[in-house]
Amino acid sequence: MSFASLEFILFFIVVFAITLILQKFENNIYKEVFFLIASYFFYGYWDWRFAFLLLFVSFSAYVSARFIHKKAAIVVGVVIPLIALGFFKYSNFFLSSLSVLVGGKLGTLNIILPVGISFYTFQALSYVIDVKRGKIQAEKNFIRLALYISFFPQLVAGPIVKASEFLPQLDEDRQITRKNLECGIQLMLFGFFKKIVIADHLSVFVDDVFKMPAAFHWLSIVLAIISYSIQIYFDFSGYSDIAIGCAKCFGYDFCPNFDLPYLAPNVTDFWHRWHISLSTWLREYLYIPLGGNRKGKRRQYINLFVTMLLGGLWHGANWTFVLWGALHGLALCIDKSLPKKASKNRFLNGIKVISTFLFVSFLWIFFRADNFMSAWYVIKGIFTLQQGIVQLFSWSFVAIIAVCSASVLAIYRSKKNKQARVNSFYPLFKLNTVPGLALLFIEIGLILCLGFTGEHPFVYFQF
Amino acid sequence: MKKLFSWLLKAFAAGLLAFVVLTLFCTLYYNVPVHYSNTDGSTDYSWEKNKFYSRGTEGFACGRTNNEGYLNTYDYLDGMDIDVLIMGSSHIEAYNVSPSESTSCRLDALLEDETIYNIGMSGHNFLVCSNNLEHALKKYKPRQYVIIETSILLFDENAVENAAEGTMDELPSYSGGIIGMLQKNQFLRLLYSQFSNWKPEPKHDNATNLQPLQLTNTHKQSYLKLLNKLSQTAADYGVQLIVLYHSNIQIDSKTGKALKDSSEFTNFFAAYCETTGITFVDMSERFKAEYDEKHILPHGFANTSIGTGHLNKHGHRMIAEELFEIIGSEDECHLHH
Repeated sequence: MSFASLEFILFFIVVFAITLILQKFENNIYKEVFFLIASYFFYGYWDWRFAFLLLFVSFSAYVSARFIHKKAAIVVGVVIPLIALGFFKYSNFFLSSLSVLVGGKLGTLNIILPVGISFYTFQALSYVIDVKRGKIQAEKNFIRLALYISFFPQLVAGPIVKASEFLPQLDEDRQITRKNLECGIQLMLFGFFKKIVIADHLSVFVDDVFKMPAAFHWLSIVLAIISYSIQIYFDFSGYSDIAIGCAKCFGYDFCPNFDLPYLAPNVTDFWHRWHISLSTWLREYLYIPLGGNRKGKRRQYINLFVTMLLGGLWHGANWTFVLWGALHGLALCIDKSLPKKASKNRFLNGIKVISTFLFVSFLWIFFRADNFMSAWYVIKGIFTLQQGIVQLFSWSFVAIIAVCSASVLAIYRSKKNKQARVNSFYPLFKLNTVPGLALLFIEIGLILCLGFTGEHPFVYFQF
Repeated sequence: MKKLFSWLLKAFAAGLLAFVVLTLFCTLYYNVPVHYSNTDGSTDYSWEKNKFYSRGTEGFACGRTNNEGYLNTYDYLDGMDIDVLIMGSSHIEAYNVSPSESTSCRLDALLEDETIYNIGMSGHNFLVCSNNLEHALKKYKPRQYVIIETSILLFDENAVENAAEGTMDELPSYSGGIIGMLQKNQFLRLLYSQFSNWKPEPKHDNATNLQPLQLTNTHKQSYLKLLNKLSQTAADYGVQLIVLYHSNIQIDSKTGKALKDSSEFTNFFAAYCETTGITFVDMSERFKAEYDEKHILPHGFANTSIGTGHLNKHGHRMIAEELFEIIGSEDECHLHH
């Protein structure tokens, strides 16, 4: 089920109520078993058959880690989940690419992509690798490991939580408390606002432009690209906020997944702020094992490029994602080769931030377009100053104002706190006061009043 | 226990405060009057009379309903001479554009010496208007024209038959009881609207008006019967009936060019209008020409999907200009004769 649905709200209330009862028992096992059942129900609600795939991936990770010193362990724990991911996600992509290459028709397989497979496969892999590296002990209790991989707040679209961050929390007596609940609910509401009010409204305009780019005026296309940059940020960071907030309500902490990415002055910093859990995963389990920066500059650039190329492919089985990843890889290599010098010139820093935003936004074209032809039409429309429909979409301006205001607030706060780096924060209301509660209720009311009422799933669900 | 009670009190006070703030917000963002049943039968219902309204969910417009609950810039006075009466749906009612940009207002400005009165009303499709035509003519007694606007021509066979027989059910207004009372709070009204729209359905493209439906002979006969009846009613009151049809422009996603509305049914409907003496105005060519020349679409707003939804200010302008050409030229003909 999707977070932005009535079903999820009902599901959350029921799970919350039962957890309140179960946390009275001293033994955590009841709560863990219940969370596991709830998570499988949450996942199986889409298609119950894929709950078995989730179970299979969890079991292979469990067995592999338990027998990590045996040679076959790595095959069971790493290769098998990767084969499952490859089969479900990339079979048709490779078949169709091969068809083009050999100039024949190889046909496609009738495969449904299991929701969130990329996310939970990566969690399972990181667990096995961490056990192999000796960073964590192999989990003896299968229920706890299965819960780590399937815990419903992060199951379908992350954040990609590391076992070393989550499993120790199960050992602690994490409880539903008023403090956790106040924080968690507010984070969830922020997420819902970002997703339902801003991102979903922007999707109307963005979808129109990407559906028929040849019909639009070049200025409208530029606005649509900026709108998509904001849409995907609000969509995915909104999802992460809901996931983090949801876990927080039950007493569990997930690391932040976004940190004002559009305030990054360069591409390297952008990847430190965007989808942090994926960037961290790619760095720790791909870039560093490839050699990282330990084998000279040339090798470092190759490693960076390969990591981003595969990161692009992780996002989707389409050459547009591969190109998107490759271009980011190239940009990172160029950025790494440039001398780093911190400047105190505000104007210069502002220019850097705007240039990075424009560059990243330009690359989003490949991420959003269904194919190269569509991306080409969008790019051609801009550079030929194409004439067409002028659509100055009002929600785009609302979104731009929202992003700018949040950025200014964050900059002001970092200056006030004398922080070297601008970080995101959530202005949480005090829910034991009338103004705090009133603001919370107004926020709920605005989500309901302004929310987009059409169907628009989370962008990252497809990954 | 004391703490909980204190918190509940605070939550209640905060809830009230939030309710007031949200109601004030909705007074500007989504202030839609209540529909009341119309006893004279010219429409099934009309808006609350002399009421401020605003809409920000599809375009943004605000104004005031007149003394009859219709969207005209002036009140209706008993015995008032009306030259052109406009009937139709929410498109021609024009609650998504500012009052001065509506078809009726623009036509009024173009036809300086003639009075245009608009009784377009949400939910009043072609069949509902057909059903109400006689009552409307009886009440307003237009001197020259009655226009029925529609964005849909193709209806179910039974519905057409009912309209032809005058046995259509009246549209409900829901103005009574608790629902009627709750509708008066704009925040609750918007909440209701949001929840009723919250349907997990895929978005429709521009092609929804073109349904591949094979018409049976009885279906065609029902249409002919209805159009004959409408033509006769208009003739009885000494006015010319104009059926104004407008559909969404469909755009070729590859070239960005407008596609021609090739609906066979439109041609069939136009031919039947001609045989029954009804003036049929199809806006498709006009809309296409303006799109080809200026890339202007007649439907859709700055906060909705392009080319879909209600008529925007350009659509209203184009319709007013088209009607002016037709009415103006026919007026000239009458003068020459």
